[in-house]
Amino acid sequence: MTSFFKQIADYTQQAISAGQYLLKGLAVTFDHMGRRPITVQYPYEKLIPSERYRGRIHYEFDKCIACEVCVRVCPINLPVVDWVMNKETKKKELRNYSIDFGVCIFCGNCVEYCPTNCLSMTEEYELAAFDRHSLNYDNVALGRLPTSVTTDPSIKPLRELGYLPKGVMDPHEIPDNNPRAGNLPSQVLELMKKEAISKDNSLSNEEGKGGQSK
Amino acid sequence: MLTNLKEVIFFTVNTGLDLESSFNNLLQGLGLSSEVSHILWLPLPMLLVLTSALIGVLVTVWLERKISAAAQQRIGPEYAGSLGILQPIADGLKLLVKEDVIPTKADSLLFSLGPVLVLIPVILSWLIVPFGQNLIISNVGIGIFLWIALSSIQPIGLLMSGYASNNKYSLLGGLRAAAQSISYEIPLALSVLAIVMMSNSLSTVDIVNQQNGVGFLSWNIWRQPVGFLIFWICALAECERLPFDLPEAEEELVAGYQTEYAGMKFALFYLGSYINLVLSALLVSILYLGGWGFPIPVEWIAQFLGQNIDAPLVQVFTASIGIAMTILKTYLLVFLAILLRWTTPRVRIDQLLDLGWKFLLPISLVNLLFTAALKLAFPLAFGG
Repeated sequence: MTSFFKQIADYTQQAISAGQYLLKGLAVTFDHMGRRPITVQYPYEKLIPSERYRGRIHYEFDKCIACEVCVRVCPINLPVVDWVMNKETKKKELRNYSIDFGVCIFCGNCVEYCPTNCLSMTEEYELAAFDRHSLNYDNVALGRLPTSVTTDPSIKPLRELGYLPKGVMDPHEIPDNNPRAGNLPSQVLELMKKEAISKDNSLSNEEGKGGQSK
Repeated sequence: MLTNLKEVIFFTVNTGLDLESSFNNLLQGLGLSSEVSHILWLPLPMLLVLTSALIGVLVTVWLERKISAAAQQRIGPEYAGSLGILQPIADGLKLLVKEDVIPTKADSLLFSLGPVLVLIPVILSWLIVPFGQNLIISNVGIGIFLWIALSSIQPIGLLMSGYASNNKYSLLGGLRAAAQSISYEIPLALSVLAIVMMSNSLSTVDIVNQQNGVGFLSWNIWRQPVGFLIFWICALAECERLPFDLPEAEEELVAGYQTEYAGMKFALFYLGSYINLVLSALLVSILYLGGWGFPIPVEWIAQFLGQNIDAPLVQVFTASIGIAMTILKTYLLVFLAILLRWTTPRVRIDQLLDLGWKFLLPISLVNLLFTAALKLAFPLAFGG
């Protein structure tokens, strides 16, 4: 008989704790209702891609030496380098170059390894097309510069979360000159240089001291 | 609901709040016979029910979209009207002009009959919803029982449309809907029975009147807290709201019994589910939260201000307070349902039936017996 009552007590306890969990969940959703929306209203507002954004690849035809390193480092050998050997000058003559962005995974290996820096990553990501074959960019299409979000007057550029001042969550009403949290890459570089110099100094000082003592 | 208010103001100048008799008196004063005036009266409450139910649905759809957006830190509809108020109308218009498709292999008669059978009982149930002492379409003696009886017609329509669609997802959805409705009807009816026992009446007007003796302290929620929870859970299950939306679980069943429906037939299902949600919230507020009652009885306020409660102007005022209170309580419950939608994950079918048969049913039985015992022990507090 006591075990029966214990069972009932346990069951009631379980039911009550289930209700408590439910109330906790409701408190979470209710709390979220008071927060500001994080919506970026896309065609009218756009986020500024970060400095190291890996978007559509830009290519400079005149710099290319047709070495085919990009093809070798590409996971699927995607770039097509169309060249012929000029027998007279004994040099490669580049005729065409193309990358199919319907297949590209934007890993950036080609950009990383290009010996003449003729490949580079842009911040363009709007590559929607009605036909996937139109994503096969030739050297002319690859040479086009992307439109920048910040210079387009019809678009309101918004900063990403990592580029906002400390404690700010909403990019909508922050003025452009308000600096982001932390140091910029250039500032970090300067800091690192300073640190290196001071380290060198302290090292040479120590050496000097050692010399004196001897 | 606005029309409701207008009619109240228009007709309550002389004879208090009995709209029907004042309308009949008005027409008979113009020289019409009582039969003719009765026939002229009949379409008015019907139109009133349809418009108030539809406006209720539009508001609920808008609220659902806006509250869902807020709970997920989105903006929600914004461009159709200010704050997206016209979005539900735009949705409705879109559904109205869409092509009405009946699948070739479907049973076209049952396919068309299904949504109608789902919608009609829900709208018919609005008959028994009171917004004030006489602001009710039909104060039938079996009131709340009529609603329970009507709501059990709905699973037939769901099963019909699920079967007639000739689609495995539809069939599964229809079967699930029927199983769910049938299992949750029993604890629902039992918790209503406890209320009925305390009020000694099935009529919704009597149930509300019995709760409004000393303001919010005499609301049924204090005497029936367990019944309130059971009723709310069962009402959510009957409306197929999350966490009990198994019949239309999109991850498993595409859209359940609605899968093959498009255009206006789909809109009937959509309307039906939202009218049902508003109706359930209305009934919770009527059965447990004192219906049209103000937290402090209006009679006391009138007495305090030295006004006669039967004066025409005061009557109009109390009637509008009653309507406002009913709608306020209802939409608070609708808000709770929407918040629950984004809080709770969907239960599995075995968990659903487990909760219904092995948890809610025994508890509602115990609640009923306990209420009966309390009624015998303290007849003064529990309506002897």
